[in-house]
Order: sequence, then C-alpha cells, then structure tokens
Amino acid sequence: MNKKLFLIIIICVLTTQLQAQSSNIDTVAISILDNMSVMIGEMTSCSVTVNANYDVHNQELGLIKRSNESQVYLEGPDKLLIRSEGDKGSRAFYYNGKTLIYYSPDKNQFAQIETLPTIVSMIDTVSKTYGIDFPAADFLYPTFVDDILADTKNLVYLGITKVDGKECFHIAGTTEDKTFQFWISNDAYSLPVKVVIVYTKKELDPQYEAVLSDWKINPVFPDALFEFKAPPKVKKIKFVPVSKK
Amino acid sequence: MIVPYKIKFSVVIYILLIAAVNIPQTIFAQRFSHPSMGGGGGGMSHSAPAMSRPQSSPSFNRPVAQPQPQSRSINGGSQNFGNHNFNRNTTVNVAPRPVAPHPIAPNPTTVRPIENTTANMHRNNNVRENVNVYHPGNVQYHPYSYHPYHPYHWGPSWHPVGFFAASLAANAFFFSLANQQYYYDDGVYYQPATGGYNVVSAPIGAIVSSLPDGYETVQVGDNYFYYYGGTFYIGVDQGYQVVVAPIGAIVTDIPDGATQQDINGESYLVYNNTYYEPVSQNGEDAYEVVQVN
Repeated sequence: MNKKLFLIIIICVLTTQLQAQSSNIDTVAISILDNMSVMIGEMTSCSVTVNANYDVHNQELGLIKRSNESQVYLEGPDKLLIRSEGDKGSRAFYYNGKTLIYYSPDKNQFAQIETLPTIVSMIDTVSKTYGIDFPAADFLYPTFVDDILADTKNLVYLGITKVDGKECFHIAGTTEDKTFQFWISNDAYSLPVKVVIVYTKKELDPQYEAVLSDWKINPVFPDALFEFKAPPKVKKIKFVPVSKK
Repeated sequence: MIVPYKIKFSVVIYILLIAAVNIPQTIFAQRFSHPSMGGGGGGMSHSAPAMSRPQSSPSFNRPVAQPQPQSRSINGGSQNFGNHNFNRNTTVNVAPRPVAPHPIAPNPTTVRPIENTTANMHRNNNVRENVNVYHPGNVQYHPYSYHPYHPYHWGPSWHPVGFFAASLAANAFFFSLANQQYYYDDGVYYQPATGGYNVVSAPIGAIVSSLPDGYETVQVGDNYFYYYGGTFYIGVDQGYQVVVAPIGAIVTDIPDGATQQDINGESYLVYNNTYYEPVSQNGEDAYEVVQVN
C-alpha cells in the first residue's frame, strides 16, 4: 500500500513538472509578429524615434529610472546613424558598412572599429564583443520571431489597445528570466510601437520600456548622413571588448 | 592590511585609464537572444558580459541563416515568416490539420452546355431565361432535381455574410490580403467595421491554417476540395487556401443568405456569386456548382 501511494505521489509530481514545463503559444500573436517582421524585412530604409526608460540598480536607493531619446536612421544593407540624448549625455553612432564610429559631443571623443558589412551582422557582433546595444535592435533581426519562440515559454495575444492614441495589437510573453510585452500598430504597416521588459531574475525586477514613434518608411537619405566628420580637436579613444574588463 | 603606495597609485591610474577609454555600454538596449546569429543579446548592467548562447536551441524548419546576397533591405528580409517549429512541449492554439487525401490544385476542365432554351426574357431580376447552364464534362452528370432551400448554419460560432459582431474571439487570426485587413475565426471571415466587425465573404487566395470540424471533402473529377460555410478550399503546405467554387462540386448545405433565382424555368440558388443547382446524389438532396452565362 505504501509503495502504491509512493508511486502515485511520484506520478503526480512528474505530471505537475511536465505541465509546468509546457508552454502556451498563441498563433495569433505569432501571426502579428510575423507580419511585423515581414514589413521590417521589406524596408530599404527607415527612421524612427525611440524613447526609452530603464531602471538602473543603486545600492542605497534601489531602482533609479533613466531615460534617453534616440533618433535612428537605417539604410539597407549597410548604413546606420543613431543620435541619442539622455541622462548620460549626448552620443552618436555612425556606420557606413565598413566602420562603426562612436562619438560623444559632450566629451569631444570618438572611437572607431572596423566591422562587418551589414547592419544586423554589425549590431550582433558589436553587441557580443563590446557589450554595446542598439535601441530596439531586436526588431531588426530577420529571425526575430523564431528567436522569440526559441526562448519563450508563453506568448499570448491580449487584444487591441491604444498607445498614445494609436490602436495596437497587444502581445505578452514570458521567458526564463523576463516577461515582455509588445504593442504592434494595427494598421497597414504593423510596426512596433512599444515594448516593455521586466527582468524577473534580477534584483528588484528592473524594467525597460521603449516607445517607437514617428516611423518613416523608405525615405531617401543622403550618403553623407552616415559619415562621421571629426570636429576640431576631437580625441580618439578605443572600444574595449567586454572580455578584457 | 597596508597596501604599498606604488600599488595604490597604479590601481588608481589603471582605474582612471579604464574610465577614459570605456565606452558607455548600456545607453541602448538589445534585449532578446538571437541564437540564429550565433549569439548576442545583452543585459542592462554596465558589467553584463556578452552572453554565449546555448547550442541546444530548438532547430527550425529552415536552413541556418546564410550570408545574404547584396540586398537593399535593412536586414536582408524576414527569415521566419510562416515557418516556425513547434516540436517542443507546447500547447499551440491551432486546431490540428486533418489528413488530406490528394490535395490537388483545382482545374475545372472542359465544360459542355446541356441547356440552351430560347424562351422569352422576363424583366424580373430573379427570373432568367435563354441562359446557358454549364456542367463539367469530366464528372458524373446530375440532373436538376428541385428541393426546397433550407439555410444551413455550421454551429454557434458560424455566422453568415453580413452578420455584425461587436467583438471577436481572442484567438481570431488576423491577416492582410490585397491591402485589406481580415480576421479569421472558426471558418468565418471578418473585417473591421464601426463598433465591431462584419462577416464578409472569404477572400480568394487567403490561406488559413485549419478548418473547423464539420468541413466536407468534395471531389471534382480527380481533384479534391474542402468545403465549409459556403467557402471552398484546396490543401496547401501552410494549410488551406480559399479558391473559387469549382464547377461540378456537389455539396449538401448552402449557407443562410442565398437567394433563389429562376433560370430557364428552374429554381437555382445563388450564394457569393456562385450558382447552385438543386440535384439528387445517391438519393439525397444536394446542390451542384454550375456556371451560368
């Protein structure tokens, strides 16, 4: 009798574990994200404003909210300009398919590295090597939806809501270490409008939130926009790989 | 512990140098892992190293991303549309696709006229005479056999064209086709309207992943179609694609909303611009899709 009871308990525990490991993937959510990914993949150029707020942990004060606003310009396959203003001052990134240049107008410093020939490969490599991330760059990855599904335990379509008066599809999901929400515009373009991420494995659950606005699709940019012109007396510094820190 | 002055000084200088050359890392945010790129994705803290990606990520039904030929796209084009691997322990909110026998593209073949009267034309819109009605030549011929029209409903989730719904089910599938927005739920197609959604005819060419229970498999010659809610489909890799009603298809149920039209003195049903001739098949009331000119 004790053996039978023990076996039943084991089966119940295993079943519970299996259920806990299973996930809920909503194909409506996938469809919306697929549409967005197709739209982004068909752009030959774009610009967008990214207003980001993110929590930084302070030992005495807990979570401090920081913010910055970035103007992002992209021209496929190999040009990028990001100009950012925020709590940490002004900064810019210039990429022309050969080099990536970081420039700080506040300090009149710049750093330069040779890098890969496409926007996404450059972003991915620079992120891995130097720990530098780019605003809302996740949406740019051509495999964005597959990448989300690789980690996601749950992905749910919550319905239609509004962000700054704009009607959006609202999607939420969870992974092992975070929860996330996307708002994708409910219009012909299906572009990302807002993203919120909560890091559930970090102390005090810090958040990241970004609103993407003023999308411009396939504008014509002059090549000079993506070329850095060193101002007088600018000081050259170095990118430092994260592994050396 | 007493630290020698030289070591203290060196440490201070080292820290200052690091500060001088250290590019701020967390001004921007790349928040998700991208195993398809071989790694990447960062965290929020200044000290977060680039995380290596486990190689045990689920495989996908597509080749590993290869260097793309020179493309003007900002990212080389989406590489995951409609091709997702669900070979994990997941609950996917999609009905399983039934086993489809011989999914073949429709190709209505040669037709032969069987009726061609010269009776006088009436002005009544529901009465047509001197009209040719065509049946395909490669299927069994079913003579006209009148039986009254009983509008059919495919269950509580199904609604006829023109029905207004204030809201949709949470799992309604959204798609765009020819710059039109649609929602699909349980065999019914909706478009946004003021205050809700209107049921519309299924757009030709739309592809849905599944059909609800209760669909019919319809054979026309050597070809197979699927019929549900007044809409005909063929089987495709991604699911089921809406097609024009194939001439010669025999179905048993016509949706609510069909109109009756007298053609050459016989009563036909018209639904979604498709003509249905009342026939008898194996002793049962049925309707055959015919072409009327």
